Amino acid sequence: MTESITTQKYKAFSVIRIWTLAANTVTQLLRMRILAFLTVFSLIAIAAGFSFPTMSPEQQLKLLKDVSFGSLQIFSIVIAIAATSILIPKDLEDRTLYTILSKPVPRYEYLIGKLLGVLLLIGGGLLIMDLILSAVIWIKQSLIITGQIAALKQEQSATPENVAAIKMIIGKYGLTWGVHAGVFAVFLKASVIAALSLLISSFASSTLFTIVVAFAFTIIGHGQQLLRDWFLHDTLSSGFGKIISGLVVIICPDLKLFDVVDKVITGEIISAVTLASMGGMATLYIVGYTATAYLFFVDKEL
Amino acid sequence: MTPDISPTTAVSVENLTKIFKIGMTKKALVAVRDLSFKVNQGEVYGLIGPNGCGKSTTMKIMLGLVKATQGRTAIFGRNSEEVASRNNVGFLPENPYFYKHLSARETLHFYGKLCNMKGSELHDRAEAMLTLTGLTHAADRRVGGYSKGMLQRIGLAQALINEPRLLILDEPTAGVDPVGSRRIRDLILELKQRGATIVVTSHLLEQIQEVCDHVGIMSNGQMVKEGKLEDLISVGNQTEIILEDASPELLEQIRGLINKNDQQTKLVSLGKPRTTLEKLFLESTTQTGDQEPS
Ligand SMILES: Nc1ncnc2c1ncn2[C@@H]1O[C@H](COP(=O)(O)OP(=O)(O)OP(=O)(O)O)[C@@H](O)[C@H]1O
Ligand SMILES: [Mg+2]
Repeated sequence: MTESITTQKYKAFSVIRIWTLAANTVTQLLRMRILAFLTVFSLIAIAAGFSFPTMSPEQQLKLLKDVSFGSLQIFSIVIAIAATSILIPKDLEDRTLYTILSKPVPRYEYLIGKLLGVLLLIGGGLLIMDLILSAVIWIKQSLIITGQIAALKQEQSATPENVAAIKMIIGKYGLTWGVHAGVFAVFLKASVIAALSLLISSFASSTLFTIVVAFAFTIIGHGQQLLRDWFLHDTLSSGFGKIISGLVVIICPDLKLFDVVDKVITGEIISAVTLASMGGMATLYIVGYTATAYLFFVDKEL
Repeated sequence: MTPDISPTTAVSVENLTKIFKIGMTKKALVAVRDLSFKVNQGEVYGLIGPNGCGKSTTMKIMLGLVKATQGRTAIFGRNSEEVASRNNVGFLPENPYFYKHLSARETLHFYGKLCNMKGSELHDRAEAMLTLTGLTHAADRRVGGYSKGMLQRIGLAQALINEPRLLILDEPTAGVDPVGSRRIRDLILELKQRGATIVVTSHLLEQIQEVCDHVGIMSNGQMVKEGKLEDLISVGNQTEIILEDASPELLEQIRGLINKNDQQTKLVSLGKPRTTLEKLFLESTTQTGDQEPS
């Protein structure tokens, strides 16, 4: 053996490899035009911001947030499920997995890289949507405040106290840190759903199956609490139903944990503790789902 | 690690059996049946056999892409199920396909990074591989628009990106034009010179004959013949004479000599050697496939 051919050292865990896979996933999804959703979202936010002039100012701001957060959630969940479900079957079908896994790439790195790519994409998308939403809320809020101050001036009652009161009331319903916290909560929820979809696609044999099951779990996940209560406290029914509901309680994420949008809309403060505990729960779910996905994927025949 | 693996063994396949369960009925399909062979370091090993005899399946098991039902395969003494066994390996699958959104250059960088290469080392290596496989002119085009032969070339480039000590090539010349496949042949010989080990399959036996030291012939998942190429193909008792500008008189004399010399020697054939179709193709075509069509 001549020395011109070098022997490389193998590392069991490489951040560079994971990052390479994640970055590639992001470009792959971007070139599928998956962020066209962003344009649709901006239009909805703008429409919601400027189309209900007859309501009271607080109502207008509430409605703007309500509609925008609703579409934010739907888009992030759709992207989380659709993007994640497509990735692995596509690599299998195109046989790109052969060349990737014939390099010294452990299968867990492949899974982590793919998931990280989806999360980066959703995170980036939500960041842009957060900026758009903030801008729309801020403009709306400024317009309302200017309008009300002008009205006060006409009534000759624009005292500094009155002006400050208006700014405070409208400000509470306007752009607050709560808006960003709300977007963060949406991101956490979408991340958990993406990890769940990855788990399903690691053993499912078709993309359609993955998408349908992931949507079903997402819907059940929003009512998981009810199911859990029923499972824990209902002593009448037994047997099969109990087993099924037990399984679902274990597998299905409790997505209500991440619903803080109501608070955001009414201008309530979301504490750092709440955010941290949501982050912690999301991390637990993501790690759990990814680890289980690996158990299925490691023995998969390509 | 089993003790009987000598340090010079690059690939060992021991009693390998692969059974696929197909369809809803889980009907068993035996793709590989109790297959054993060894490839020594520095050797070019050709695996040939009819369609569906299990060549590709064997290669995939060697690379840990498919699990063996029974038996084991190892690369440089490491079980194929360990990821570390793929550290110094390059693989070109049959009909390779890549991320269509990447260009050839981006593809090579992607695979290079998966091999933990980076910076100028990776950059230089990628350019060298593009030149080597004749893809420089198309390096910035999306792989999605590549022709079959071009995909094969980028597949080879990606297999070579980390200067592997073992190269596993599944039909490397399928769909590649004659100039391109001649270049692949030269490349295999050059890599062998540099000490690499190569396992290759092909249906073009002429090419196998040109590059391989050892050949294994498979049929129905089993090895039916195996050995050194010379031993397998040489016809021990024949000699070929090829002359240029020989006059009819000289040929008569030679005939006479043969007849006079010895009772045992018989003239089997004497005539003009034919050019091969490959040679003819090479002489009469000018497009080489690594340039834009003119
Ligand atoms: N994933 C799979 N599932 C079921 N059967 C499979 C699978 N992969 C291969 N087979 C079967 O295993 C047998 C061997 O296939 P393999 O691809 O190894 O053949 P091959 O020798 O490479 O043939 P070719 O010369 O056509 O490339 C075939 O009968 C094939 O149908
Ligand atoms: Mg084959």
